[in-house]
Amino acid sequence: MKSYKDTLVYKQAEFSMGLSLLYTLIIGFASFDFSPFAIRPFILILAGINGLVTAVQALLVLKIRKDSNKSLVINSTSRQLAGVLLISLLAGNLFIVLSSLYLLKNKVSTGYIYSVYMVLTDFLVIGVSALNLFKAYVTNTFIPFMFLLLFILIFHIVVLVGYNRFAAMSGIVKKVFLLFFAATVLVGNLFVLFVIISMIQKTDNETTMTRRKGIREKIIRNQASMIGMLFIVFLVAISICSYWTFNYGFAVTNDYSSILQPPSLTYPFGTDNFGRDVFSRIVFGARISLTVGVLATVIPLIFGGALGAVSGYYGRHTDNLIMRFLDILYAIPGILLAITIVAAFGASTTNLIIALSVGYIPSYARTMRANVIQVTNLEYVEASRAIGNNHTNIIRKHVIPNSLAPMIVRATLTIGSAIIATSSLSYLGLGVENYIPEWGNILRTGSEYLETEPHLAIYPGLAIIALVLSFNFLGDGLRDATDPRLS
Amino acid sequence: MIILPLNTDVSVFKGFFCTYDANEKYILNKENGGMEMKVETIIKQDQNFFQMVSRQYGKAFLSPYYRIGLLIFGLPFQLLILIVFLYKKYVKKQNGKINSEAKEALIQIGYDQKLKAKLKKQEENKQAFFNKLLNEKETNKNVERLFSTQFQQAVNEKAQEIYEQSNREKVTFLGQSLAFILNPKYFVLSAVLGFPMYVLLVIHSFPFMKYLFERLLMMLFVILGVTIIVFTLLYFSPSDPARNIIGETATQAQVDNFRAMYGLDDPYIVQLWRTIKGVFTFDLGNAYSGNQAVVSTIMRRFPVTLELSVFALIIALIVALPAGIYSAVKANTMFDHVFMFIALIGLSIPSFWQGLIFILGFSIELGWLPATYNADNFASLIMPAVVLGTLLMASVARMTRSSTLEVVNEDYILTARSKGLSNRRVMLRHAVPNALIPIVTIIGLQFGGVLGGAAVTEQVFNINGIGNYIVERQFIPDIPSVLGGVIYIAIVLSVVNVFIDMLYAFIDPRIRTNLKRY
Repeated sequence: MKSYKDTLVYKQAEFSMGLSLLYTLIIGFASFDFSPFAIRPFILILAGINGLVTAVQALLVLKIRKDSNKSLVINSTSRQLAGVLLISLLAGNLFIVLSSLYLLKNKVSTGYIYSVYMVLTDFLVIGVSALNLFKAYVTNTFIPFMFLLLFILIFHIVVLVGYNRFAAMSGIVKKVFLLFFAATVLVGNLFVLFVIISMIQKTDNETTMTRRKGIREKIIRNQASMIGMLFIVFLVAISICSYWTFNYGFAVTNDYSSILQPPSLTYPFGTDNFGRDVFSRIVFGARISLTVGVLATVIPLIFGGALGAVSGYYGRHTDNLIMRFLDILYAIPGILLAITIVAAFGASTTNLIIALSVGYIPSYARTMRANVIQVTNLEYVEASRAIGNNHTNIIRKHVIPNSLAPMIVRATLTIGSAIIATSSLSYLGLGVENYIPEWGNILRTGSEYLETEPHLAIYPGLAIIALVLSFNFLGDGLRDATDPRLS
Repeated sequence: MIILPLNTDVSVFKGFFCTYDANEKYILNKENGGMEMKVETIIKQDQNFFQMVSRQYGKAFLSPYYRIGLLIFGLPFQLLILIVFLYKKYVKKQNGKINSEAKEALIQIGYDQKLKAKLKKQEENKQAFFNKLLNEKETNKNVERLFSTQFQQAVNEKAQEIYEQSNREKVTFLGQSLAFILNPKYFVLSAVLGFPMYVLLVIHSFPFMKYLFERLLMMLFVILGVTIIVFTLLYFSPSDPARNIIGETATQAQVDNFRAMYGLDDPYIVQLWRTIKGVFTFDLGNAYSGNQAVVSTIMRRFPVTLELSVFALIIALIVALPAGIYSAVKANTMFDHVFMFIALIGLSIPSFWQGLIFILGFSIELGWLPATYNADNFASLIMPAVVLGTLLMASVARMTRSSTLEVVNEDYILTARSKGLSNRRVMLRHAVPNALIPIVTIIGLQFGGVLGGAAVTEQVFNINGIGNYIVERQFIPDIPSVLGGVIYIAIVLSVVNVFIDMLYAFIDPRIRTNLKRY
C-alpha cells in the first residue's frame, strides 16, 4: 500500500519547503555587508517575508500530515492556505507558488504540472526582462514585446486554470486552440510543447489506462530535475526574448563614464572595466553557452553513435578497426586535443565546437557500442534477420531505436561538461573570440579585479554552475526515468 | 605428458573423467552418428620439458598474431622446417592422395547427389517463402555456391577420418615443428636458430605476462597513433610558423633560412618520421622561440604537474571513498541527500572559477594559504590540488555510492549478514572490496581529465607545469612545444591506464581466473 508520503503533491510540498528555506537563508545572508558591517534594509525585508512564507508552508505541510492517514487528504482549509501562499510570488519565491498550484488542483495530471512550469517560466522571463526598466533607456521593441509577453502570460494562466476543460475539448475547436497555443512556443517556452503533447495524448489514450508511462510522465516525479529543466527552459526563453527586450549595446559598447560600478538596480551585477553592463553580458552569454554546449553534444552524438553502432553490430574486424582508432583519440585528454586544434587552426567559435566534438566522439562510440552489442543479441533482432531484413534496415529500425536511451542520458550529462569546457577554454583565451560576451570571457575580465570587485567574477561563475547543475539534475532524472529497474 | 590420441575409444575412460576431473573437454560430434566423443586431457605429472614446450608452441601457433610473431622471430628455424616440410610433402609425397580418395569415397556412396538435391529443395522453399521466384539459372548458381563449400567440408572431414583410421599423421607445417621441438637434439638447434621465438613463447605461456605484453604492444600502437594524429593536425595548420615567429617584415632569405633550420621544407612523410623517431628517442629538436630543446623543457616541467596530479588524486580518494561508502550505508537519509548534492555541485563547478573563489576566500579574505604556487612551500600546493581533484572527488564519491549500493543487494551480503557479522564488517570486508572495480575504472577514466585539467588549474595558480607550458606556447604558436607536450601527456596517460588494467587483476580474483583461461 502506498503511503501518502509517496504522492507527488506531498513530496512537492516538502521539497518546496526545503528549497524555500534555502532561498530565504541565501537572501538573508546577502542582506548583510560584512566589511564594513552594514544592513541592506530592502533585502532584509525580502528575506523576512520569505521566512514568514516558509514558516506558513511548514505549517501547511504539518497540517496535511495530520489530516492524512493512509491516503493524502487536502481539505478546504489547506486549499485556502495554499491559495493565500500564492502571494509569495511577489516575494520572488517560485518554489512555494509551485507547491501551492499543485495543492489547489483536485486531480494533478501530467499536463497540468507542465502548465505550472510553463507559467513559472513566463514569470521568470518577464521578471528578468523588466529589470531593463531601470536602465537609462530601452530598445524600441522593448515595450511592444513586453506587452506580447504579458498577453502570453495571461493566456497561459487561463490555460492553467482551465486545464481540464481545455484538455477535454475535441474536434476542430481543439485543433484551432492547439494551433494558437503552439504559436506561443516561439518565445522559447518549451514547456508549451510538453503541455500540447499531454493534451493530445489524453484524447488518444483515454481508454488505455494501464499503458506504459513515457519518460515525459516519469520525470515529473523527480522534483530536482524539474527545477533543472525549469532553469534550462528559462535560459532558452530569455536567450530568444533578449533579441527584443535587451539592448545589445549595453553588453558590448564601452562606456567610460561608468566603469567598475558596484551592483545596483541599473546594473544588477555591476559593470566591468569598460563600463559594460555585466548583467546584460551574462544574459547574452547564455545564448552562446547553450548553442556551443548543445552543438558540441549533438555532433559527437551523431558521429560517435554511428561509429559505435556500426562497430557493435558488425563486430570482429570492423569493430577492431574502429575501436582501435578511437582508442588513440581517447588517449589524448579532451582539453589538450582542443588546445592542439585551436593552436593549429586559430581560436574561433567554430573551431571550438569542432575541437570539443572530436574529443567527445570516443566516449559516445563506446556507450553506443556497448548498447548495440546488447541489443544485437536479443531475439527480435534475430527474428528480423530470419525474415530476411538486410543489415541497414535492422540497424535503422531495431538496433538504433532500442539503444538510444542511454545515449540521450549521456548527452544531457555531457552538455554540462561541454559548457564547462567552453568557458574554461575561453578563460584561457582559446575559445570564443574575446569580444563576444561569453561566460568564460566575462569571467576572464572579472578575474583581473578579484581583489577589488569580486562580484565581477562571482556572478558569471554562478551562472555557469546553475546551468551545468541544471543539466546534471536533468540527466540524473532522465537516467532514473529510463532505468527499467527503477520503474 | 600424454595427449590422448583424439579418436581413441574413450567410453572406458568416460566415467573416470566425469567423476574425477572437471577440466577435460568433451567435443560432441553428432554428425558422425552416435555419441562419439573426443577428449583432450592433459595429465600434468607426466610432462617432460620438451613436451611442455611443444604443447605451448602448438597453443601459441593457434592464434594468428602469435603465429606471425613466431614465424618472424624464429625465421631461420622456420625456414629449415619449411624445407623439411616441403620435402616430405611434395618429394616423398607422404600425404599421398588421401584427399582424392576421400572425394571418390563420398561420390561412390552418392553423397554429392544427395547434398545437391537437399540444397536445391532448401533454395526452392526459401524462394517460395519470400515470394521471390528466381529463374532456373540463378537458382542453380546459388545451389552450386552452397554445394561447393559444403562438399569441400565433407571431403575434409572424410579425409581426416581416413587419416585416423590408417593411423598416419597428416604432414603439416605445425606437426613438423612440433616433431623438431620434441627431439632434444633438434630442440637445441632450434634454440640456437630461433632464440627470440622462445622468448615470445615464454611470454605466451604465462597468462599474466601475455596480457601485460599485449597491453604494452597496444600502448605502443596508441602512442604511435597519437603522434600521427597530433602531428597531422599541426602540420595542416593554415598559419606559417616562419612568418609567425620572425614577423611579417622578415625577408624571404630569413624565412627560407628558418624553414631550412627546422626542416619545414621536407615532405610530410619525412617530417612525420622525424617526429616519431624524436618521440621515442626523446629528441624533438629545439622550440621555435627561446631556442631550448623541447624535451628538456618538458622534462623540467613535468614533475611539477605530476606532483600536483598525484596529490590531487590522493586528496580526492581520501575524501571521496569514505564519504561515498558512508552515503551508501545511510542511503536516502539527510546526510546522503546533502552529500550527493555537494558531489553534484563538484561535478558542475568550473575548476578555474573554483580556483578564483578559493583564492578570494582563503588567500585574500582569510589569508590562510598563499595564492600562487611556490615549490618550497608545501601549503601552496593544497589549493591547486583540491581544485584539480574536485571533479575526480565528485565522480569517485558518486560511483562509490552507487556501486556499493548495487553490491549491498547481492546474495553474498545476505549470507554474510546471516552469519551474524556486524554491519561494519559486512560493509568493509564484503561490500566495499567487491564494489572497487567500477571505482578503479572511473579513476582511470578521470585521470586523463585531471592531467588535461592541469592546464587550466596551473594557469589560475600560476604554476610552471606542463599544462601551463602548452597553453603559453600555443599562443605563439610554437608547434614543436605543443606537439611534444601533448604527446608526452598522452604517453603518461597510456602508462597509467596500463597500470590500472594490471590493478584489476590484483583486486579482483574473478579477473585473475579469467586471465588464466585467457
